Amino acid sequence: MARISNARDMMPRFDLVQAADLQSALDILAAHENAAWVIGGGQDSFDWFKDRAKQPEVVVDLNAVEELRGVREQEDGGLEIGSLTTLAELQDDPMVNERFSLLSSAAGRVASPQIRNVGTLGGNLCQDTRCWYYRQGLNCYRAGGNTCYANTPEGLNREHCVYGASRCVAVSPSDTATALVALDAVMLVQSATGRREIPAREFFVGPSQNIRGMTALDPAEVLVAVRLPGQWAGAKFYFEKVADRNTWDFALVSVAAAVKESGNTVEDIRLVFGAVECVPRRLDVIEQRLKGNELTEQLISEVAASASDGAVTLNYNHFKLPLMQNLLQRALHRVES
Amino acid sequence: MAYKLIGKNFTPPDVRAKVTGKARYAEDFRLDGMVFCKMLSSPYPHARVVDIDASEALSMPGVLGMITADDVPAQNGAHEQILSNEPLHVGAPILAIAAETEEQAADAVDKLNISYEQLPFQLDPLEALRPGSAPARSDGNATLLEYRQPAAASYHYWSEEDFNAVSEGELPQGASMKDWAVGDIETGFAESDYIMDESFVVAANSHHSMEPRSTLATWEAGKCHVYGSTQSQAWVNAGLAQYLGIEQQDLVYIAPFCGGGFGSKGSAYPSMAIPAYLSKKINRPVMHRFTRTEEYYLGRARSSFQARAKIGFTNEGKIKAIDLYLIKDAGPNEGFSDIDGASACVNLIYSPDHFRLRAVSPNTNTPPRGPQRGPGHNQMVVSFEPLLDKAAAHLGISRLAIRKINAAQTGSGVGPNQTEISSLYQLEALEKGAIEFDLAEREAVSGPTEDGKVRAVGVGQAYHPAGFNGFDGMLRIDTEGKVHIHTGVGNLGTYSYAGTARVAAEVLGVDWNDVIIHRGDSREGLPLIIGQFGSNTSFTASRTHFAAGTDAADKIKEIAAIDLGGEASDYTLANGQVSRNGSGNDQSLSLGEVAARAIEIGGKYSGQVAPENILPPTVAALKAVEGLGLVGIANDALSKEQEVGAYAAGFVEIELDPKTGQIEILDYLGVADCGTVMHPQSLATQIKGAAVMGFGMAVTEGIAYDPQNGLAANVGLYQAKPPSYLDVPSVMRADALNLPDPQNPVGIKGIGEPVLGCAASALICAVSEALGGYYFKRTPVRTDMIVNAAAGMKLSQSPLQKHSQ
Amino acid sequence: MQTIDSQSRRQFIKGVIASGAVASTGGLLLAGSPRSARSAVAGSVERLISLNINGRTRRVDVLPNETLAMTLRYKLNLTGTKLSCDRGECGSCTVIVDGLNINSCSMLTHNVRGKQIRTIEGLESQDGALHPVQQAMIDELGPQCGFCTSGQIMSAVALLDKNPNPSREDVRQALAGNLCRCGAYDHYLNAVMRAATGENQRVHDGI
Repeated sequence: MARISNARDMMPRFDLVQAADLQSALDILAAHENAAWVIGGGQDSFDWFKDRAKQPEVVVDLNAVEELRGVREQEDGGLEIGSLTTLAELQDDPMVNERFSLLSSAAGRVASPQIRNVGTLGGNLCQDTRCWYYRQGLNCYRAGGNTCYANTPEGLNREHCVYGASRCVAVSPSDTATALVALDAVMLVQSATGRREIPAREFFVGPSQNIRGMTALDPAEVLVAVRLPGQWAGAKFYFEKVADRNTWDFALVSVAAAVKESGNTVEDIRLVFGAVECVPRRLDVIEQRLKGNELTEQLISEVAASASDGAVTLNYNHFKLPLMQNLLQRALHRVES
Repeated sequence: MAYKLIGKNFTPPDVRAKVTGKARYAEDFRLDGMVFCKMLSSPYPHARVVDIDASEALSMPGVLGMITADDVPAQNGAHEQILSNEPLHVGAPILAIAAETEEQAADAVDKLNISYEQLPFQLDPLEALRPGSAPARSDGNATLLEYRQPAAASYHYWSEEDFNAVSEGELPQGASMKDWAVGDIETGFAESDYIMDESFVVAANSHHSMEPRSTLATWEAGKCHVYGSTQSQAWVNAGLAQYLGIEQQDLVYIAPFCGGGFGSKGSAYPSMAIPAYLSKKINRPVMHRFTRTEEYYLGRARSSFQARAKIGFTNEGKIKAIDLYLIKDAGPNEGFSDIDGASACVNLIYSPDHFRLRAVSPNTNTPPRGPQRGPGHNQMVVSFEPLLDKAAAHLGISRLAIRKINAAQTGSGVGPNQTEISSLYQLEALEKGAIEFDLAEREAVSGPTEDGKVRAVGVGQAYHPAGFNGFDGMLRIDTEGKVHIHTGVGNLGTYSYAGTARVAAEVLGVDWNDVIIHRGDSREGLPLIIGQFGSNTSFTASRTHFAAGTDAADKIKEIAAIDLGGEASDYTLANGQVSRNGSGNDQSLSLGEVAARAIEIGGKYSGQVAPENILPPTVAALKAVEGLGLVGIANDALSKEQEVGAYAAGFVEIELDPKTGQIEILDYLGVADCGTVMHPQSLATQIKGAAVMGFGMAVTEGIAYDPQNGLAANVGLYQAKPPSYLDVPSVMRADALNLPDPQNPVGIKGIGEPVLGCAASALICAVSEALGGYYFKRTPVRTDMIVNAAAGMKLSQSPLQKHSQ
Repeated sequence: MQTIDSQSRRQFIKGVIASGAVASTGGLLLAGSPRSARSAVAGSVERLISLNINGRTRRVDVLPNETLAMTLRYKLNLTGTKLSCDRGECGSCTVIVDGLNINSCSMLTHNVRGKQIRTIEGLESQDGALHPVQQAMIDELGPQCGFCTSGQIMSAVALLDKNPNPSREDVRQALAGNLCRCGAYDHYLNAVMRAATGENQRVHDGI
C-alpha cells in the first residue's frame, strides 16, 4: 500500500556532488537526468529521503554555488534574489524589507527560525505539497497511481483545496510563493542547454497541467533566481497566514496583497490566496473591480463577500470560505492603513 | 510547621548534566561492539502475516540476525505483543533485524518480502458496538481494564434498537460493561430545575515525549543489561524481567534520565524487549533507536471518549444529579483505566447528590492507549467545565459561583466506594485564583476589542488522586557522615526524586550538601517504590523517605545510647550530630562516628538484617549497602485510610480573532492544592508546563485515522501540533495553597496531572465565552471549528464523529 | 569504494569543491549499503573530512547521506545534541553553524566542512565555568526532562551572540523553533532573560 519504507529516518545511500559553480551542477543534472536530485537547504528533500520514498542515486548540492546567493539591485528599482538566499536572509535583508516587505513578511512566517536559517527561497518555492495522504506514501494520482484518497466521502481533507481540483486536491504549501505571485515575480530558470524566464504565476502549476509536479521546472533545470520587478517596489503590502500554531505549521489559508494608490484610488492591486488551490490563487476579478476605485468600506465589503466565489468545498474544508472572505476584508483594510 | 529543607528551592543534582549535554538518555550510551536494529511494522490496521521471506534481507552486508514473533513470548489476553503475526494497528511491530550499522539494518528491512492477509478493521469505538461491525481483535471487540484483573477481550455489541433509540447527535446508551452509582439519579433529576443532556467527543492525542523510547540491551554473565527510557526506575524491573523471561535478579536496569513520558513510560513496555532478544540471539549489544514515527505508533496516546452526560441543576446552580455514559476507545489492547479516572473526577469535583456511571470500552485498530497525564479526569473536565458555564449562563449566575456551589471538600467521597478524601481545598483554590487573577475585573472588560477581536476569560478545574503507600525507603550513612539516599524513584523531569529525598534529610537534620542520591541504575541498590505516574510520587516517596529517615534516626539514637548512656529517647539529631538532650559537646557523636559504630555492631544497624515487612526487591537492593554504614530501611507502614487528592484551578484570559479562528492566550494562572509545597520552583514548572500541554489538548492536538485505510493523519510533530513558544503566553503564573495533607507526615501531595486539565478546560471555556456561549462539545477546538462557529456555519464534523483532523 | 578514475576526476575537479585532503580509501571499511558496490559518481564527496567543532579540528569518516546530528552523536560521541523528531520539527538537535542556529538532523555533514560548529559540549569555558545561559538555566530551573534543553540553549546562545540585550519577545521569537513537551517555555525564557540581564526572573509566581 504505502511506498514509504518501514525503516525510516536512515536516508538511503546516494552520491553527493557538491557543485562549485552553476554550470557544473547543470552538467551533472543533464548527465543523470531523473536519477539526480538537487538540494539547496534540503529541508523538504531530507523528509523524502528519510521516508525512503525518493531514492536518488545522485544528490547535487548547490550550497557552494555563490552565484545563487544574495540580493541584487536591478535598474528598474526591483531586486533579483538568488534562489539559494535563505529565508532568514530575506527576512532581514534591508532592501527586501524596504521595497518588498511583503516577501520578508511571508519569509518570516515560514516554519521555524532554524529552518529559515537553512531553508532557501528556491526550496520554499519548489517544495512538494503537504497533502497527508500523498506524504504517507499512498499511491495516489500525484504519486503516479490512479486514485485520490482525500477527495472521497470519508477523506480527511480539512487542509485541501477549494479551487482547481483536477483528480488531485492538494494545495500549495509555500508562503513565499503567495507573496511572489502578488509581486509579479519572474522566475529565472536554467539548464545545461539554456535559460528561461517564467512569470511566477506560470511557474506554479496545478494538477490539470502536471499532476506529478508543483512547478514548471524540468528535471534538468534549476531555479537560479527570482526577479522582483520595480513596479511594486515600495507599494503597500499586507500578508497574513492563518495556521493552527504560530510556529512551523503550514497555512490553512494565507493572503498576500499589494496595492499602489494614486490619490485615493487604487492604481494597481494584486490579491493572492495561499493554501486554497494547488497554486497561489490570484483574484483577478476582484483586482479588476478595485482598480480605479477608492477602497471604501462598502467596496471592501462587497469584494470580500465575493472572495470565495467559485469555490468548491470538500467535506472538511468549508471553513476556508469565510476565512478567505475575512482575510480579504482585513487585507484591504490593513493595506490601506 | 517550619522546615529547613521542605518548601525551599534547591538545585537538583541532575540539572547541571542537563544544561551541559552530559545527561545520558538511553540513546546516549555506547557499548563495545554495539550494533543497531530496525523494526518492520505493519502498514495495515489489521492483518495477518502469511509469510516472511527474509532470504534477501538476511544476506545483505552487515546483517546479523532477525527476530520475529516466534522468537519472543506471546503476551496473555489482550496485552500488547512484543512482536506479532497479527498486527492490530498500523505501526505494530512484526519483526526486527540487527546489523552492524543502522543504515544496513534499514536497507535489509527494505528487502523483506512480507505477505499479508488484510483483515477487516475498526477505527470508531461507537461503530464497534454496532451489531455485525468488524471486531478489532480476533478474540473480541471490547476490552475493559479492571484493577488487578487480567485484561481479556470479549464480545460486546449493542442492538439496532439501541442505535435507533436516539436522535441525531445523541449518544446511544446500550448495555454497559462497567457501572456504578451513588444515590438515585431519577430522584436527583426530579429535584432539578434545569436539566441538560449533552453528547460530546474528546479526541485521543499522542504523548509525543521529546525523547523517542530508544533502548539499548546487552547480556553480560547471564544478566541482561537494559538502558531504557522510563519515567520510573525500580517499578520497571518486574515488568521488564517478565517481558524478557528472566528473574529480576538477572536484570540490570539503567535509566538515569528520561526525556519525557507523561504517563506513557510509567512501566516497562513491550518494545524494550526487542533489542534484548536480538542481543541474546546475535551476542552483541543492540541499540534500538526509535524514530519519531515509531514513537507515534508505539508511544501511546490518551484514550478518546464519545460520551453523554445528563446533568440536573437547581435554580441556584447546585448539581443534583449526573448520569454519565462513556465510550472509551481502548485501542487494540486493554488501554488504561480512563473510565475510572473520568467517573471519579466527575463524581468528586462536581459533587452531584446522585451519580451514575455506565461505560463501555470497545477496541479499535488504532495505536495502543496508555495513561496520559490525568487519564480520564482531564477528558472529563474539558467537556464538563464548558457545560458548567452553559448552565451558569442559563441560570444567571457567575462562572465562579457555579463552581463554588458544587465544590467538594475535605471528607467528600470519591469513587464507587465513596472513599473519604483526606484533604481537598477546591473552594479555597477557586477563591485564591479568582482574587489573584482579578477575575471580576477581567470579566468586566471582556468582550469585543477595538481591532475586531474578542477578549474573554475562562476558569477550569481538575482533580487526580495523589499518592500511594506501602513502599520502601532506604538510606545509608557513611563513616564520613555523608547520607546516601537510595531511591527507586525514576527521573521523569519533575525533580521529585530529589525533592522527596529531602524529607529524609529533614528528618535526620543533615545539611543537604552532605546528601548523595543514588538512583538510575539497579546496581546502586534501589528500594521498590511504585512508578512515577498518577501524581503519586511526592506523596508516596516522601512517606518512604520519612520512614527510612525515621528508621535511621532511631538507630542513630540507639547507638548513641549504647555508647553514651541513657535512653535512645534522650537524644536528638541536628546539624549532623546526635546529642544527648541538654548536654554539651562531650555528649554528642557525629553521624560518621555513629556509622562506624553501626558497622562494628552490625545486624540491623548496618543492614545485615532486613526488616521483615520489606518488599522482596528491596531486600535485594539492601545487598548493595549492607555493612557499609548505618542503614535506614523501612517499609512505609504509616496509616493511610483515606484517598489522597490533588486539585487545581486554572484561570485564562484570551483574545480570540473570530475572523481567523486564531487564539492568543494573554495570561494564565494555575493554583494548585498540592498539600505542603515541597519544592516551589519545580512546582511552578509543573503548573505551567502542564498548562502548555493542556492548551495543546484543548485547541490543537488530536489524532485522526482515515476511515478508508486506517492510516494516521497526525504522525509527525507538525501534524500532531504540540504547542510552541508562540502559542502560549510569554509569562505564565503559578501559585499553590500550601495546606498540608494529614496523611503525609510532612503534608505533601502530588500534583502533576490536574494542573493540565485545569488549563485545558479553562481555555476551552474562554473560547466558548469569546464566541458568545458557543459550546462545541468536541475537543480539541481547532481553528476550522472556531472559524465556522464565528461565521455562523455548521461544523464540518458530525456530532459524535471521532476522527477529525 | 572503487577509486574514481583519474580521467573523470580531472574532468570534474574544477567544478567540485576539493573535499579536504584526498583520503586513502584503503583503511576505510565502507558500510555496506547496496549502492556502495557500484562506483561513486565522478566528483562525489570524499568521505574522510575535517570538521571544526567547538574550536577543534576533528577528522572524521562521513557518509554522503549522513546528517550532522548522526556524525556528532555516533562518530564524535557528542551526545549532548539530541535527536527527537529527526525531521526539523522540534529543534532538539539544534547546534550553531557559523553563528546560526540550525537543526543538525536536517543538515548533511558534508555541508558544514570549513564551518565553525558549536555544540552544547563547547559552551563551558576551559576552566569548567558554565556559559551564562547554562548557569541561568540552572538558576531558573529551566529544564524539566532535559531532552530539549541542549537545543534551547544553543538557540539562546545564537541569539545572545547577535543581540546581547534582547527583549523577552525577542527571545520568544528566537526560541520558537525549539519545542518542549514538558512546556517549560516560561522558565526557559526566564533563564535566557536572566542570562542577558543578570536579574532573577522569578517574580511571577506566588510560590
